[in-house]
Amino acid sequence: MLDYLSLVFVVAVKVFKKTTPNGKVTVYLGKRDFIDHVDYCDPVDGVVVVDTEYLKGRKVYSQLVTTYRYGREEDEVMGVKFTKEMVIGTEQVVPMVNNKMELTPVQEKLLKKLGPNAYPFTFNFPEMSPSSVTLQASDEDQGKPMGVDYCVRTYVAESEDQKNHKRSSVTLAIKKLQHAPASRGRRLPSSLVSKGFTFSNGKISLEVTLDKEIYYHGEKVAANIIVSNNSRKSVRNIRCMVVQHVEITMINSQFSRHVASLESREGCPVTPGASLSKTFYLVPLARSNKDIRGVALDGHLKEDDVNLASSTLVTDGKCPADAIGIVVSYSVRVKLNCGTLGGELVTDVPFKLLHPAEGSNERQRFNAMKKMQSIERHRYENSLYTNEEEDNIVFEDFARLRMNEPE
Amino acid sequence: MFDTMANNFTDESGPMAYPFKMVSQEITEHMLGWNVPAEHQDMVHDHWRSYPDVSKYWHYCLALIYTMLFVLSISGNGIVVWIFSTSKSLRSASNMFIVNLALFDLVMMVEMPYLIANSFTGRMLGWQTGCNLYAAIGSVSGIGAAITNAVIAFDRYKTISCPIDGRINKVQALIMITFTWFWTVPFTVMPYFQIWGKFVPEGFLTTCSFDFFTDDQDTKVFVACIFTWSYVIPMTLICFFYSKLFSAVRLHEKMLQEQAKKMNVKSLASNKEDASKSVEIRIAKVAFTIFFLFVCAWTPYAIVAMIGAFGDRSLLTPIATMIPAVCAKSVSCIDPWVYAINHPRYRAELEKRLPWMGVREPAPETQSTNASTATSQSQPAEA
Repeated sequence: MLDYLSLVFVVAVKVFKKTTPNGKVTVYLGKRDFIDHVDYCDPVDGVVVVDTEYLKGRKVYSQLVTTYRYGREEDEVMGVKFTKEMVIGTEQVVPMVNNKMELTPVQEKLLKKLGPNAYPFTFNFPEMSPSSVTLQASDEDQGKPMGVDYCVRTYVAESEDQKNHKRSSVTLAIKKLQHAPASRGRRLPSSLVSKGFTFSNGKISLEVTLDKEIYYHGEKVAANIIVSNNSRKSVRNIRCMVVQHVEITMINSQFSRHVASLESREGCPVTPGASLSKTFYLVPLARSNKDIRGVALDGHLKEDDVNLASSTLVTDGKCPADAIGIVVSYSVRVKLNCGTLGGELVTDVPFKLLHPAEGSNERQRFNAMKKMQSIERHRYENSLYTNEEEDNIVFEDFARLRMNEPE
Repeated sequence: MFDTMANNFTDESGPMAYPFKMVSQEITEHMLGWNVPAEHQDMVHDHWRSYPDVSKYWHYCLALIYTMLFVLSISGNGIVVWIFSTSKSLRSASNMFIVNLALFDLVMMVEMPYLIANSFTGRMLGWQTGCNLYAAIGSVSGIGAAITNAVIAFDRYKTISCPIDGRINKVQALIMITFTWFWTVPFTVMPYFQIWGKFVPEGFLTTCSFDFFTDDQDTKVFVACIFTWSYVIPMTLICFFYSKLFSAVRLHEKMLQEQAKKMNVKSLASNKEDASKSVEIRIAKVAFTIFFLFVCAWTPYAIVAMIGAFGDRSLLTPIATMIPAVCAKSVSCIDPWVYAINHPRYRAELEKRLPWMGVREPAPETQSTNASTATSQSQPAEA
């Protein structure tokens, strides 16, 4: 909720910060979304500001933690926990261990601004670490949503393994996302299938071709369908849908959800000997699937940036089956209904749904669109908070949030 | 003088003492079932007549045990039904089964005041009708509780092995609950109307159950069937589902370990306290407890019935046959503690509503610490 406030300072660089409940340690992060470019991943770079007198010889540690949540809290019977927390990196921040650490530009700026009590820390995501994914909860689900998420936890303790105290620890939720490669490739995914019938001669064949291999979130997926009917049956209707396949590797289960679908009788029935060529347009959007439980979304921290989960990409030479966490993939599925006795002819054409790569033209267009949306939201939300003085808002809100935290 | 007095005494009291003596002798030599009037004599199997009547102290003792069980059952199961049905956070499909089990246990509890009354009169109140009612209540609740245990095992297996899509929804849960009630019907209705098998007094002749003594093929087949229906099938299902559940948990743990290894992670725990105790052991403990309770509840009954139908009947003294009934009833009082008290949300609710019970449920880790409260800060323009 606080982020829209940053729009007040449009030219300013956005920095995220959070303070421990006792107010002695503050963590600053330059961003919350860290992009996995498949061959390398943005490091998690931040700065900790600490009241050195308060420490009294104790140390400040930071951890990069990933949490897998693969079941609802209320279903945890018999002592089973559907939550697994993995600490994928721990670093002693204060006192600094590695003085020659290479600093990122954001860290340099922050160190300069925050003075001598600021200490930098950097984490690298392990090569194989999964992307942040949230599975959409239904209304009746309580507790945290399922999925994979990341956070940076900072705490004060005598030693690394010592149990940290709530009042002197702070956790910032972050995301790890994947973006599309700079070029979208020329390959047009397609599939050709045909179906024969037990009691009659001839076949119905179906060819589905997509206009791209990689789509960006919000883009229209165009599926070109060619049906040629050389059988004695006729095609009653055509269903076309975008299927999201979700594989939850930690419990070896998978499911799929239809995130966009369309049914058409136009040009039907396709009678024996006839053929049909047609293009279907589908837009898979998180917005239009709000009520479907289990739809995978890109890990989200706040309401505004919800979009369907991006397809999971793996490094060249690695098997997609090696990917861990929640693996997401998409396909266009076309179903021909060949009548009650004829059955169905089904084919799947895989494609990828991703964010445009940083810096590309598409990215700029995408950002512009996003910005417009958030400005509109901002305008609306601001109308609810007009009484607050702009200069103080950040700090007042922050104080209120801190009061809500448990003591 | 003493002699005459003594003579006088005997002379005077002699004719009076004789009938008294006769009566007392008769009491000590009363056989079980002596107080059943002629028209109801056919209720009592000859086997019981070979045992002397049970002293009233045994009856009182049994009544006392049942009184305690009654209080325990009504408080334990009553609280379960009350809390699960009135608190919103506990309204889930899985919990419907727990409420169902508590309902079956409450049905069994209805038997208890009946038995207490019987114990004080020393016979079955209401003769055959009373006996039928008593046994029908016992049969519905016993068979129902057994199959509900199996259904709970199934539900847990589904929730744990496929936590995302495998869960049972409320409609399915209702269907399964209806199924548990139907499961009790055949072996309650058939003996009730004496279509197949019948209900007869047993043990102290103050309780009733199905007949496993009549020495004919029909009864033997009946005993074998009810044994399979209400003991073997639920037990097999319980073992099957809990072992499947256990292997599912092991698989999940293994896969998570592998993923952790891929990321070079050392610590793998849902939280720090759990690190020392593996999930598998915890699950195995709970599953074993449930299985063990089921065995405790119904194995004595099964053994007695099998001995009665197929074995050496001289082992079945009245007291020996009362033990299974007490076992089955005690487990109906323990059930809520096993299923509900293990439930973190139930404990939390219990603590809220009945703080005097001293249930201490550590508050679940608060969300706000993990929620993002990142805020933005303006930087100088040159930054």
